[in-house]
Amino acid sequence: MKKRKSISYAKWGVVFVLPFFIVFAICQLYPLLSTFYYSFFEYRRVQLTTVGPNFIGFDNYIELFTPDLTGNIGILKYFGNTMLMWFLGAVPQFIFALILAVIFTSERMKIKGTGFFKTVIYMPNLIMASAFGMLFYTIFSLGGPVNQIIQANGGEAIYFFNQEVSVKAIIAFINFLMWYGNTTILLMAGIMGIDQSLFEAASIDGAKSTQVFFRITIPLLMPIMLYVFVTALIGGLQMYDVPQIITSGTGAPSNTSMTMIMYLNTLIAKSRNFGLGGAVSVLIFIITAILSFVVFKSMVPSKPKKAKGGK
Amino acid sequence: MKKRILAAVLATASILGAVSGCNDTSAVSSGSGDETSKAEGSGDATSDSEESKDKVNPADEGKVLNIWAWNEEFKGFFEKYYTVPEGVTVNWVINPSDGGVYQQKLDEAILAQADAAADEKIDMFLAEADYIKKYTNTEATLDVSTIGVEKLDTQYEYTVQAASDDAGKVKGVSFQCCPSALIYRKSIAKDVLGVDDPASVQEALSDWTKFEEVAAKAKEKGYLMTGSNVATFRVFSNNVTSAWVEDGKLNIDPAIDQWTEQSKKFYDNGYTTLAGIWEDGNTKEMFKDGKAMCYFGPSWYYNFSMTNAQDPEKGSAGDWAITTGPQAHFWGGTWLLAATGTDNPTLVADIMNAFIADEEVLTKLVEKEGQFVNNSAINQKYAEDPNYGNKTILDGQNDFALYVDLAKNIKFEHKTGYDQLLSEKYPEYMKTYFDGSKSKDEALADFKQYVKDTYPEIVVE
Repeated sequence: MKKRKSISYAKWGVVFVLPFFIVFAICQLYPLLSTFYYSFFEYRRVQLTTVGPNFIGFDNYIELFTPDLTGNIGILKYFGNTMLMWFLGAVPQFIFALILAVIFTSERMKIKGTGFFKTVIYMPNLIMASAFGMLFYTIFSLGGPVNQIIQANGGEAIYFFNQEVSVKAIIAFINFLMWYGNTTILLMAGIMGIDQSLFEAASIDGAKSTQVFFRITIPLLMPIMLYVFVTALIGGLQMYDVPQIITSGTGAPSNTSMTMIMYLNTLIAKSRNFGLGGAVSVLIFIITAILSFVVFKSMVPSKPKKAKGGK
Repeated sequence: MKKRILAAVLATASILGAVSGCNDTSAVSSGSGDETSKAEGSGDATSDSEESKDKVNPADEGKVLNIWAWNEEFKGFFEKYYTVPEGVTVNWVINPSDGGVYQQKLDEAILAQADAAADEKIDMFLAEADYIKKYTNTEATLDVSTIGVEKLDTQYEYTVQAASDDAGKVKGVSFQCCPSALIYRKSIAKDVLGVDDPASVQEALSDWTKFEEVAAKAKEKGYLMTGSNVATFRVFSNNVTSAWVEDGKLNIDPAIDQWTEQSKKFYDNGYTTLAGIWEDGNTKEMFKDGKAMCYFGPSWYYNFSMTNAQDPEKGSAGDWAITTGPQAHFWGGTWLLAATGTDNPTLVADIMNAFIADEEVLTKLVEKEGQFVNNSAINQKYAEDPNYGNKTILDGQNDFALYVDLAKNIKFEHKTGYDQLLSEKYPEYMKTYFDGSKSKDEALADFKQYVKDTYPEIVVE
């Protein structure tokens, strides 16, 4: 009888990761590559007939960066809209989340029932964005409660959804409300990861809580902060559902709340312009890839140099 | 050994599970890839249905009747007044028409029609005047005379025209005729004009100059002329002398421009609001304490859009009357089109015949639903009937008498397959001009850009 030299488990590793790679290749990699491919083609629908695909090189990309009839470069305008609305929501989101995270993790305050509060502040994230959108749409609509209160007090009805400022503010507010809980949880995890003895040492040395916050918490939380920030930014780039619902997909008034993904949706779902849509997708892909690279660099420190000697 | 087998089984199960789950999604997303072939393939389907031309019992055909629609209106009438042969299930696929969603989904389904299983094929679909041309001029719809729907003299000519392709083949029928009229609030008219009978009100509102004068008077008394600036849009857009798209170019007709200027003036002077026509800002004015004097609509408007007025407690039913208004026009209408590839041609034909010719069905549609049907004989009968009147909204006024007159002059012209979105979005994009945040040219540029983004094939200057 032959004697087995050793049992190799290596092939099982391959077998077990195979399902993921097969699914990934079919459902992600193939569509991704075909998006790149079609972005070089004229490929769209005219009523019920299909035009193309005809190879047109970089024409789709050139068209994206050509000023349109309003004198703007559409894609840059939509990128600006997306970033502005994200920023308006992200600033309060981070301030709130940071304050809440510090309070909940504070050894001194020892707040009771943090589990309850954590659940409550996370709750908005569980509600569908579209439901949130509908809710705010109803609240601020012409016949909605806000206008009823204004009119009951002798004011004139305000068209919240016809004005750039209010539409953007409402969208930013919804995004803030949905995501601050999530950010709080992440930052809390970050703070709890800081060595507790540092806080103790600081309090023994007589540091004030503001000093502890600015000298210990913030610097040591920086890597996590950066991670949360950049992932939020990537999420923000893909902002779609809230503005889509609030403006019924029009980006009203006159495209000032149109985000990049909404534009993509207009191209793909409405005009069935797959070529131009592909070009927009590729741009979003590139921006996201750059941002992801930043996260990766900040999370994985470059190889530490071997310490030579000692002080 | 057992463990190995178990592991192998589990591994295959997880792979299969993942892959089959993925199939569903990829089927949806890859649908776009092979549309051309599907569109070409739809030609064969025509011959299929032509073979089954001889008289057959509808129940012997496909067991599932798929009807596509964009709201529940026709579904309601269908379920109440039409008896489906035993053994056939009716499957309704309803998608909202706002923002073109219905058309998008319908287009996908039509392009996939040839490859769909018999019971999943669209058998009949509904279309509106605004985009019916997109479907009648293609292979996607059947010449209904081949399945047994004869053209009747009682059908209004424009409804037949609308359903015909350029070669004159009729692709469907409408179950409604939609002359649209001015629906005014009697109590407000009395207060503003001193009279509330249709003839006197018509005299006071017979053209747009008079309409504007009355609007100013209404404003003085604290009323609104219309609940939404878009209320008058259909009146103007139906009286255009050129289409939205002429020779492949976007074209803004003088009548549309006239509406734009009127809207601007009306909003600036506080005669109207900028609420959308379907929004509650407009419809809340139909309540008892509502301030709007005028609405425009055909007979479907009562049940479909005036539910607030019909509210038993807060509503204003009975306080309304209709008259021609400043300009005659028509609005909407629902056409039933037979889809190429249907496996229920006899049943589809029977439904179409029922809704244009079956006296029993049409009588119920008139008497119970207040619908102005697509049958001039029946309409004429009710128009002359002194006992007939609309009691749900109009306090017994015989609206058919007016509609019969208006229906004679309806013309289906200057229409394109693009009209729905263009007519829906033009007022929306012009809002920034009305509220003063942009100049007219800037607002127009935004609209034109929208057209360019949505329909790259339309030349926009």
